[in-house]
Amino acid sequence: MLSRGGDSGNKNILGSFPQQFENTLAGRDIISCRDFNREDVELVFGVAEEIESGVAGVEDALRGKKVALIFAEPSTRTFQSFYVAAKSLGADVISIHDPSISSMAKGETLYDTVKMIEGYGVDCIVLRHPARGSAKFVAESTSIPVINAGSGSQEHPTQALLDTFTIKKKLGRVDNFSMGMLGDLRFSRTIPSLCYLLSKHDGVRIFFMAPELLQVRREVELHLSQRGVVFRKVVKSEEIREIMPELDVLYVTRIQKERFPDLTEYEKVKGSYIVDMKLLSYGKKELGVMHPLPRVDELSPEVDSLPNAWYFEQARNGLPIRKALLYLILGGVA
Amino acid sequence: MSGESLLVRKIDWGTVLDHIPAWRANQVLKLLNLESLNRSSDISVIVLYNVPSKKLGRKDIVKLYHHMVSEEEAKILALVFPQMTINYIRDWKVEKHSPGLPEKIIGKIRCPETTCITNYEREPATPRYIVEREHGVVVCEYCDTLLEISRIPDFLKG
Ligand SMILES: [Zn+2]
Repeated sequence: MLSRGGDSGNKNILGSFPQQFENTLAGRDIISCRDFNREDVELVFGVAEEIESGVAGVEDALRGKKVALIFAEPSTRTFQSFYVAAKSLGADVISIHDPSISSMAKGETLYDTVKMIEGYGVDCIVLRHPARGSAKFVAESTSIPVINAGSGSQEHPTQALLDTFTIKKKLGRVDNFSMGMLGDLRFSRTIPSLCYLLSKHDGVRIFFMAPELLQVRREVELHLSQRGVVFRKVVKSEEIREIMPELDVLYVTRIQKERFPDLTEYEKVKGSYIVDMKLLSYGKKELGVMHPLPRVDELSPEVDSLPNAWYFEQARNGLPIRKALLYLILGGVA
Repeated sequence: MSGESLLVRKIDWGTVLDHIPAWRANQVLKLLNLESLNRSSDISVIVLYNVPSKKLGRKDIVKLYHHMVSEEEAKILALVFPQMTINYIRDWKVEKHSPGLPEKIIGKIRCPETTCITNYEREPATPRYIVEREHGVVVCEYCDTLLEISRIPDFLKG
């Protein structure tokens, strides 16, 4: 339990919260967005807003804590975001940025890496690994809280939190809206996490706009059906512009050429999945465009200066969200 | 006991797996992983392939002398081969066994998703599936991948 004032003196950043609230995230693993309930999400958003508003004392909140960043993929943005988040809360950071951990054939195993890290008295592990299931596996292998910073094509829960945080700020609500997801929905790790998170909210409609080959995975569909979320798969690229007027938010992911066994297939569809002024002209005037970045050519720079471009602000929301998560997970511990 | 007499002899104790779809007995044996049993055990196995059957047209039969299929194995067999009958034999008496469905399957199936952590052979991650009978699938607890129950035989480990 954390309480107003608490026992942490000037570390309290939760002044605007009720006298007593339960830090439901203290000591918890963040593996899948399915594990959150709505209160957890609102707690993270509340603390992120406090952090953004610049209340004093935050820079010391995790003094004496150790955060390990284990990145077995050459990711830079998420690594930096977590690095800065942990540092700016006063935590010590141990970083292992080594793609050979994910080698099937050689190098140290992920399991051994985690066991070694345990010996350093680490308070939290942040993991990026190309294997699906890697975060769950690590969470089962250690009692240290684990944050999934990307488990292959499976999930990227902190990205989904910052995405939903962005929707809340820009749209003013996280219920009762229509979202289009465009591009590679099959191999994008952010799409399942975002779907799972949105399924906790009411009245969200999702349009999956992708060729059959890159459509959303079956387990995501099954999850949404079980939670009663209304969704539709749009596989014909000609239909995209018909859907546009329905949407409040358009979430764009990159289509990679390598996913297509037949390159002529790729050439045929690629133009339909590019977001530019022309495509936006079919949508609502206030339609928000999101993208996990970095982009290649699926999002035309001509969109950047429009009020519809939410993606730079979206990227900026990564830091307060990750700070809030680290604070909550570690703040409740001893 | 000679091989010939084994074929016709009744079993004093053991298991008879009947009504296996024709030519699928090998998958049953793989699932039972008999080679892992203690080599000094007095188990004998008779496999009949593609014998005429009133119910199935053709079928396979596996007779296991002096071996009781475990409850866990029986549940998985009943899930994968719903028309199979499992008979336990004790003191020459035949008891038809109707196992329930398994809630989880641990270790027996490899994950069809190549990027799953359980397919990293050097990592000590044992594949573990939740059975979702109503959707006709098992779900990898690590990577969330769905596998149709009918396709389980293609992904047996061992
Ligand atoms: Zn798996």
